[in-house]
Amino acid sequence: MIVASLITYPQAIILGLLQGVSELFPISSLGHSVILPKLLGWNIHQNDDYFLSFLVAVHLATALVLLGFFWRDWVRILKGLGRSLAQREIRADDTDARLGWLLVVGTIPAGILGLTLESALRKLFASPTLAAIFLMCNGVMLFGAELLRRRAPRTDEDDDARIARQMSWGGAFGVGAAQALALIPGFSRSGASMGGGLLMGLSNKDAARFAFLLATPIIGAAALLKLPQLLGHQGDGVRGQALVAALCAAVAAYVAVRFLMRYFETNTLTPFAVYCFVAGLACTIYFVS
Amino acid sequence: MLPAMRNDRLLVGLAILIGIVLVVIAVIYWAEPAKSLPGFFPGHQAGSNHHHAKHGIAAFLVGLACFAFAWFRTGPKRSTHAA
Repeated sequence: MIVASLITYPQAIILGLLQGVSELFPISSLGHSVILPKLLGWNIHQNDDYFLSFLVAVHLATALVLLGFFWRDWVRILKGLGRSLAQREIRADDTDARLGWLLVVGTIPAGILGLTLESALRKLFASPTLAAIFLMCNGVMLFGAELLRRRAPRTDEDDDARIARQMSWGGAFGVGAAQALALIPGFSRSGASMGGGLLMGLSNKDAARFAFLLATPIIGAAALLKLPQLLGHQGDGVRGQALVAALCAAVAAYVAVRFLMRYFETNTLTPFAVYCFVAGLACTIYFVS
Repeated sequence: MLPAMRNDRLLVGLAILIGIVLVVIAVIYWAEPAKSLPGFFPGHQAGSNHHHAKHGIAAFLVGLACFAFAWFRTGPKRSTHAA
């Protein structure tokens, strides 16, 4: 019965909203989930089994929202993948097939690095101070990506055609591998992949779109793999809170993805870079002093 | 032309071979606990009954990727016209 008070419902609501937003904003959800409990004096630790089980629910909710938001795109992409397998070639004019395989190529390194390193890195860097320092580094990374970006060519093609033409196979692999940075609390998955997209010559909007499409299978698969944890004894006492948090995360993720897809039509990563650097610096000073 | 074709076949052969090896490795990870894994496998740990299911999934996915590569490389040749 003591377990029931590990995460309260108000905490679950706050953590759910925070996860939903920070998973998609390029500001590191993992970093925020390490820093915020420490800032608010909550007795929640990132490596506790019950908290990991709790996070499964919010990650699953975020992945489902992303899947729903890009549902039509996914249907087209899956048809494209099937078409290319049947034809045994990825035709240059088959945008959906090329985009689908770019996503597969990007998912492979992220998946492998995530599957093999996730647990070790999480344990190694699970300190709020380190997370705050890495949040600063995330800000530098985002700013660097904007600084070093290649100018995206202006065309009248639709979004996916532009991404499929601009992104190389090696680029997709690199962007996918960069996502593994998010295994370190403080670094953002979407930030790393958006930054990678910018370096490959995508516009902010296309980089965000590619990052969200790339994130969906990874977040979803990671959550599904750990679902037994939530349904098993490790989820005892947090399942109700996890459900509430998942609902909050779903709402927040939907608002976040809608906002970001419009925001990146005309804006850059720079405000997020400034936020990460300033928040990381402030938290580092606070935790050290 | 001929060396290029030979290289292509070599690549396809290698991809299939590596794919098969990786699928076998995946099955070993799923079937055997950490203590029974060969010593050179990542995750081998004496006395541990833990199954490294995730390592198996990773090996399986890379194996599938190798097969997909071979599948496309052995597909019908396109008639490419250089611009």
